[in-house]
Amino acid sequence: MRIALINGSPKVSNSASGVLLTDLKSFLITSSKTEIKEINLHNTVVSKEALEDLKNTDVWIFACPLYVDGIPAHLLSCLVQLEETDWQDRQVQIYGVVNCGFYEGIQAEFALNILQNWCTKTGFTWGGGIGVGGGGALQQMPTMKNGHGPKAPVEKALGTMTDKIIQRETQKNNYVSIAFPRFLYKMAAQMGWRQEIKANGGKTKELGNQLE
Amino acid sequence: MKLIITDIEHFNIPVEGDYKVIRPQGNIHHCIGCFGCWVKTPGKCVIHDGYEGTGIDMGKCTELILISQCCYGSVSPFVKTVQDRAISYIHPDFVLRKGEMHHKRRYKNIITISAYFYGTHITEREKETARNIIDANADNYDGLVKNVCFYNTIKELENMIL
Repeated sequence: MRIALINGSPKVSNSASGVLLTDLKSFLITSSKTEIKEINLHNTVVSKEALEDLKNTDVWIFACPLYVDGIPAHLLSCLVQLEETDWQDRQVQIYGVVNCGFYEGIQAEFALNILQNWCTKTGFTWGGGIGVGGGGALQQMPTMKNGHGPKAPVEKALGTMTDKIIQRETQKNNYVSIAFPRFLYKMAAQMGWRQEIKANGGKTKELGNQLE
Repeated sequence: MKLIITDIEHFNIPVEGDYKVIRPQGNIHHCIGCFGCWVKTPGKCVIHDGYEGTGIDMGKCTELILISQCCYGSVSPFVKTVQDRAISYIHPDFVLRKGEMHHKRRYKNIITISAYFYGTHITEREKETARNIIDANADNYDGLVKNVCFYNTIKELENMIL
């Protein structure tokens, strides 16, 4: 089975989407004989090389962050380009993993709906997806063995989706959050903003600047 | 002030009262997820291409009007790029609203959102997604939804007054 892991984050490195795809890749490699192509859609245009790789794969898995309740604009632009491409009636199964900075994975529901609607327009098959809450912390969370650690619910969801991918089956969208208390996640994020603005030479009160 | 964000280059729909139109003019760069608009130049995007001040404009408006092609239930890439680049309208800190995590307000104005989608063959699922996203936008801006409408062509939109 030829699988494309598509990183739809605008960030070239250190993205939560990249972390999720790395985890998913480790599941896919151990699960069966799979040939994996890693494709980056960091810009508004799908490169010739990426198109060529996509033409040689049967399953596409998009991972992207939630931006303003939808998918990032640059990825939307790529989807329009992919819809306009002649795929010569290829049967492609599509899955999606959308992570959000908010705690609740359900907030990614409409972004997954966009991917599903895009499948209808392109004629591809929607295989379902995962909405991941607490995406802002994924970079800092270690992977632990035997289903432990704060990333465990996310890893479990990725494992379940891996089984579906291998069977080329469809799953209902699955919404998960990190196993970390919401109030602590909120506190950690807000401390992070304060550290960052100070590191940039600013003051914490400037986080709330109201510009005219 | 009414703030209109549209992908129609030659925008000529009549508008009552004070308004500003943000439409395709030159190249727009997509959001790169750097959060500079929160932690480097709070309130303003760090990419200087003429679209860096939309967050400030949103802080001055009473009505946000989105006029866009419907792309799979989303606004079009141009309108979405403007929205993505304008997250500085809200504060990076979190609050709980309707039991969910959202961002805190930066400004005091309450935005009422109207969305006018156009396009041939907009499916019922796309319409449902679009309505849900505009509702979610209103929750995140801590604002309200005025209306969400669908049209087949841009021409049909020219018969109304915003």
